[in-house]
This record gives sequence, structure tokens and C-alpha cells, in this order.
Amino acid sequence: MVLSTTLASAEDGRATRALASSRPVATGAVLLALACALGLLEASLPPLPVTPWLRFGFSNIAVVVALALGGASMAAVVGIGRVVLVSLATGAIFTPVFAMAATGAAFSVTTMWVVSRVPGLSPVGWSSAGSAAHVIGQFLAAALLLGSPGVVVLAPPSVALAVVFGAIVGSLARSIISRVQNEWTRERGRGETTPR
Amino acid sequence: MPMTRGDHIFVGALVAAALLVWPLVASAGSAGDTALVTGPEGVSSVSLRADSAFVVQGRIGEVDVLVENGTVSVEEASCPDQVCVHTGAVSAPGAAVACVPNGVIITIEGDGIEYDARIR
Repeated sequence: MVLSTTLASAEDGRATRALASSRPVATGAVLLALACALGLLEASLPPLPVTPWLRFGFSNIAVVVALALGGASMAAVVGIGRVVLVSLATGAIFTPVFAMAATGAAFSVTTMWVVSRVPGLSPVGWSSAGSAAHVIGQFLAAALLLGSPGVVVLAPPSVALAVVFGAIVGSLARSIISRVQNEWTRERGRGETTPR
Repeated sequence: MPMTRGDHIFVGALVAAALLVWPLVASAGSAGDTALVTGPEGVSSVSLRADSAFVVQGRIGEVDVLVENGTVSVEEASCPDQVCVHTGAVSAPGAAVACVPNGVIITIEGDGIEYDARIR
């Protein structure tokens, strides 16, 4: 995370460093909470009509924002942390469901990190790839758990839909990212070195 | 928020790749190939390999069953809440469509065991 604040004066240095080191922690925590809340909210909605096993994956908004603002480590904390926390809250932890969700999240975060290093792609592209990887990861985990490759039949149409859902999620994430970055730029412009 | 040109190409390529792989995977997979129809008048087995439509006599009325592209669905049923109709088409081994008021249950037979779980 680049937070190279232009110092107004030397004595602000200490406060600036404190801010620079606490901001990633605060940002990551807020995004993790957001991911959990969005995940729980979406889990409480009725399933999609034609493909009840697929969801929009709105909690990935928080992961994409984390990747853009805090890099791969923050994205991993938000992406994997969300699955662990929500599984703890719903009692699904260390069940097959948890194994599938965690595999999906790990695939998704890894893929988004790789794709985010490709020039010319915006968070919309990252999110689409992450969404596709999430579905592929889940289907692989499901096939392993079931000991039969039968479920993989559903994977290609699911991936195609997931890519579209991912693009929607990515564009939502993109508007959040640009707002936060604008805000941070304005703060630096005003020379603010302490949280308001 | 507009997408970049790279996004357009990338997203399009991903969707195209998924759709291209579909027929390959679909032929390799092992979906169930028969459905067991249990009703008040007995049990019968229906092949999913051929499309068909038939009527099952239930306790309170008729249940219209449709077999299409290897999936089974209930088109119309004489029950108040239409849960079976809203279940949609099923094809995975172990999956079922049930019209409880009519006492009609359609189960897909097959080797695979299916978990039915929601991921949060």
C-alpha cells in the first residue's frame, strides 16, 4: 500500500507514520466486515430461479476493493477471512460446505491477484476471472468430496454465468475504489496527517 | 462505470471458453439416466435418454411430468402450492421433484451421491 504522504512539517512525521501503518489495518478490517455482511445478506436472499446453486457473490466487492487498495495480502485476509468468519457464525466450519467455500475463495483470490498484474484490465476483469475461478474451485472441491465427476457437468454454464456476475460485482467494486482513492488523494492534498 | 477495452476482450474470452468447454464436459459427465416415479398407483421407471411427457395420477389430481434433454420437471400439478413446479428441472443422481399433496415423488437414479448444500 502506497501511502507516501507529503509531509507538511517534520514534527508531523510521527503522526503520519502512525496513520500510514494503521490505515491498512483499519481498511482491511472494514472490508472484512463488509464482506461478511454482504455474504450473510446474500445468503438470506432466495436462490436464483434457474441456477439456485449460483449467487452474485456481492461479498467479492470487498475482496476486489481490498486487492486494489491493499494488494494481495489484504485481499487474502478479506477473501479467506470472510469464509472462516461466516462459517463460524453459521456453524458450517470444517464441514464439506466449508471445504467448498474455502477452496472457491482461495482459487478466487489467487486468480484475481495474478490477473490484477496483467496490464489493461480493470477490477471488472479481475472480478470476472475471480468469479470464474471461484466456481471452478467449488466444482473441483465438490467432485473430490463426492468422489464422482458428475457434478462437473454443471460447471461450464455456471462459469459462463459467473463471469457475467463477476463483471457486475467488479464494476460496483470499481466505483468504490475510485471514490476511496479520490478521498485519499484529497486528504494528501490538504496535508491532513491525522484522522478526522 | 465503463469497462476498459481489455475487460471487454477478457470477459468475452472467458465466457466463450466456458461455453466451448461445455459440450466436452457434458458428454464426459455421468448424469442420471433413469427417473423413478413413485405415486399412489405404484412405481414406474422412465428413461431420461428420450424426451417424453406423461401424466401421473395423484391423490388429489393429475401431475404432468416432462422429460426433456435428460432432465425431469413437473409442468403442471393439481396442488395448491406448486412446490413441484417451482422445483424446475432436475437431472443429477439423487435429485428429486416431489408433489406431496398428490403423493408423487420423482427421483433420479444413478451412482453418484449428491450433497445438497448451500455455501455461505
